[in-house]
Amino acid sequence: MAETSSHVPLESEAVVAAVTPRQLAWRRLRSDKVAMVCMWAVALIVVIAILAPLITRLMGINPYDFHSEKISDNGGLPIGSFGGVDWPHIFGVEPLTGRDVFARLIYGARTSLLIALTATIVTVGLGVLVGTVAGYASGWLDGLLGRFMDVVLAFPLLLVVIAMAPVLDQRLAALGVPEGNATRILSIILVLSVFGWPYLARIIRGQVLSLREREYVTAAQSIGASTSRILRKEILPALTSVILIYATIVMPSYIAAEAALAYLGISVQPPTATWGAMLDDSVTYFTVDPFYFFVPMMALLVTVLAFNLLGDALRDALETHDYQSVVANDEGDS
Amino acid sequence: MSGMTKSGAASRPPRFSPLKGLAVGLCAGLVLLAACGGNKATGGNASSGGTLTFLTQSAQILHLDPQRNYTGEDLAFASGYLHRTLTAYKISSNSDSAGQIVPDLATDTGTSSDGGRVWKFTLRDGVKWENGQPVTCADVKYGVSRTFATSVITDGPTYAISLLDIPSAKDGSSVYKGPYVTTGNDQAAYDKAVSCSGSTITFRLKQPQGDFNYTVTLLSFSPVPQAFDSGEKYDDRPLSDGPYKILSYKKKTKLVLVRNPDWSSSTDSYRPAYPDRIEYLFGIQDAIITERLIADAGDDQRSLSPDSIDSAKLASVFGDSRLKDRRFNELDPYVRYYAINTTKVPELKHRQAILAAVDRAQLRKIAGGTYAGDYADGVVKPNLALDYSPTGLWDTLLGKAIPPEGDAAYAKTLIKESGKPFPNPITIDYPKSPENDKAAASLVASLAKAGIIAKPNGLEPGSYYGIVLDPAKQGAMSAAGWGPDWLNASTVIPELFTPAGGFNLSRYDNAAFTKACQDARALTDRTAQAKKWQELDKQAAGAALVLPTRFGREQRLVGSKVVGAYIWSPYGSWPYAVLAVAK
Repeated sequence: MAETSSHVPLESEAVVAAVTPRQLAWRRLRSDKVAMVCMWAVALIVVIAILAPLITRLMGINPYDFHSEKISDNGGLPIGSFGGVDWPHIFGVEPLTGRDVFARLIYGARTSLLIALTATIVTVGLGVLVGTVAGYASGWLDGLLGRFMDVVLAFPLLLVVIAMAPVLDQRLAALGVPEGNATRILSIILVLSVFGWPYLARIIRGQVLSLREREYVTAAQSIGASTSRILRKEILPALTSVILIYATIVMPSYIAAEAALAYLGISVQPPTATWGAMLDDSVTYFTVDPFYFFVPMMALLVTVLAFNLLGDALRDALETHDYQSVVANDEGDS
Repeated sequence: MSGMTKSGAASRPPRFSPLKGLAVGLCAGLVLLAACGGNKATGGNASSGGTLTFLTQSAQILHLDPQRNYTGEDLAFASGYLHRTLTAYKISSNSDSAGQIVPDLATDTGTSSDGGRVWKFTLRDGVKWENGQPVTCADVKYGVSRTFATSVITDGPTYAISLLDIPSAKDGSSVYKGPYVTTGNDQAAYDKAVSCSGSTITFRLKQPQGDFNYTVTLLSFSPVPQAFDSGEKYDDRPLSDGPYKILSYKKKTKLVLVRNPDWSSSTDSYRPAYPDRIEYLFGIQDAIITERLIADAGDDQRSLSPDSIDSAKLASVFGDSRLKDRRFNELDPYVRYYAINTTKVPELKHRQAILAAVDRAQLRKIAGGTYAGDYADGVVKPNLALDYSPTGLWDTLLGKAIPPEGDAAYAKTLIKESGKPFPNPITIDYPKSPENDKAAASLVASLAKAGIIAKPNGLEPGSYYGIVLDPAKQGAMSAAGWGPDWLNASTVIPELFTPAGGFNLSRYDNAAFTKACQDARALTDRTAQAKKWQELDKQAAGAALVLPTRFGREQRLVGSKVVGAYIWSPYGSWPYAVLAVAK
């Protein structure tokens, strides 16, 4: 007891003197229990998704195998309680076909996360690029890019997606992308990111506008650093935290958006599983096999919640008060 | 009539393609017993009055214009309430009895002469339209003539064109173009084929047809008064000569029928016309309809639906003993199958290998198990009692008994025996729906076990048949459903397996088989004819022209105060004319 209490202040004093802002943020994050739980949850989900083929093989299950013996011949519902839960079908089986729900869920996580993650990366890339250029250039280029963002934001996204999906698929197939789910996944990623980047671009532009007036940037300019060097070495590092926060907010919204698109029937083609497609399928059986509905719903809920809480915690930890209000406002828009 | 389900087992398939240019042999056995009068309702006491309500998922009744109506359920509805036909199927819960016809607008079931080439029907006296005008022979003649206006009167059966003795022009179309064309139209040819003398109408046919009085049960042979014909718009407000007339009709919302004061029960023994008012509510989700009928509260007690029970709820509906008097589970008129395109899979052994490999038990479970239907062994269904006999397809015809789960090893043997490699990969066409997607995935999986590589090709349901009927676009296997237009396999086998047939998705063109079909049609002895159809059904099954999956079934639910409901076999529909509500 005595030893610990005397030890702690000593260490913290020593560390405070040496920590970088990044270490400080990490320390704050670690002391936030919710954030840590969420981080582990996200990590677990990602690991399960990556290892899905291995896990299913170890369990002796497969997302595509039919198990007719688990299906009643009177009405097509799974035999057994909770939608046919037993070993190895720990989350039961799908009505009518008897396909393993757990296997479909973790394979579905691969598709859902692949789409959301790639779309997030593209969104962030585009947003940072356009936002930085607009903010740093100012003048007519800024005005032009600003209006362009306004136009993109004004598009009725859902309508465009529904109308464009088949055409976009054909165009992508014509460009040599393998037909089927490759084109579907690519077109969903394109649509989500093409319509998602202006939100981030606006935030970034605001940040850059104020950063370029800082002394250290002026100093760099005055010693003759090139524009690209200033952007890469002086401005971009200062934007890291805002990008990180935005990414954790947009990622879950893309997971949910993919589910919504699947519900509208414009996501990947069966028999490939996604969480949205599973939800869509299970709604029919909600009253007679509710467990089948709860599995993908809980998976979606836990993942989206974990990402969102993690994003919040990250924002607090990074103490980005300047951007906090911007990002918070933006959440309402997206 | 053909059709694919919208969502697997549980929905009503539309009739699809009309018979083209066929004459059907004399059908003595069925015509003899033409009894009169409607059957009394089966359950409870039928009494007059009250409002009967129908709940449906559909946005409208596909066609109310009698010449355009070609959907089993809608034909039964419209002929029960609004339109009278020369003859009609007997209203009975016994399917053998319901297969007989009774006179309706005519005084008897028709008389034929010249070996079945000329048919005469005499109209009843005193039958009136809802405007008080009498229903005349000229109205029947005019009504039939509308079918010839193929650009206006779409989607209806075209038997009038194919059967009546009117010459064809050089392009193959009839020289008579219907009542809306005045120039270059051979009215005289039509007047010769269909003529009126007093209240007797005479039809002259191209070829003898012993069961033409069955053909005229179709509403396309019912009267329309020329003065009230509004062409395309007649579909929204047809004139009634039945016990009810249209009070209001708003598509996607509601159709209301009220009593027709100009109808008299003394001229109509077929329709007891119990309710005072009939309401048809559109656009209600099937899950909600099923919930409402199970709950049986308020007005829903006097409601029923032409749609099947929501498939997800079948097990709970049939597991609940409280519903045992309100639920029905009957064979519908349709056979479900996958046509095998003989131009894409020309080797007999290859087609047989497909049949042997497929897990039919799994396919049926995906469709809803035993509720979806019985395992099929051909394209003729037991509903066609005379023409059906077990083909033995799964017992002997493939050279070995094949279990419902399929026999992949034997399928491989068959492919090996053929001495040729299977033409991999093949395409499976189907109208897209969640259940059809799963069925296609199951087919792909079970065929793969026999080394057959199949690619599922889900198509937009609305344009499905348009695509697969095009030889350039059809794949090697196409999901389909078919039911007879009247109770004779002549409306099934030649349609499905001869080049002249309107629904030959197997692209089968075998001279001997076609000749045998023509010979069977020409037979005047119905029993001998039935024997021929049984033989041809067996031949077609053995040639593996289709993969028959199910003799379809349908399940329905009625409110507790609906009296007289059962599934009426001719259309697999409600017996609309005799439905009543309890006080």
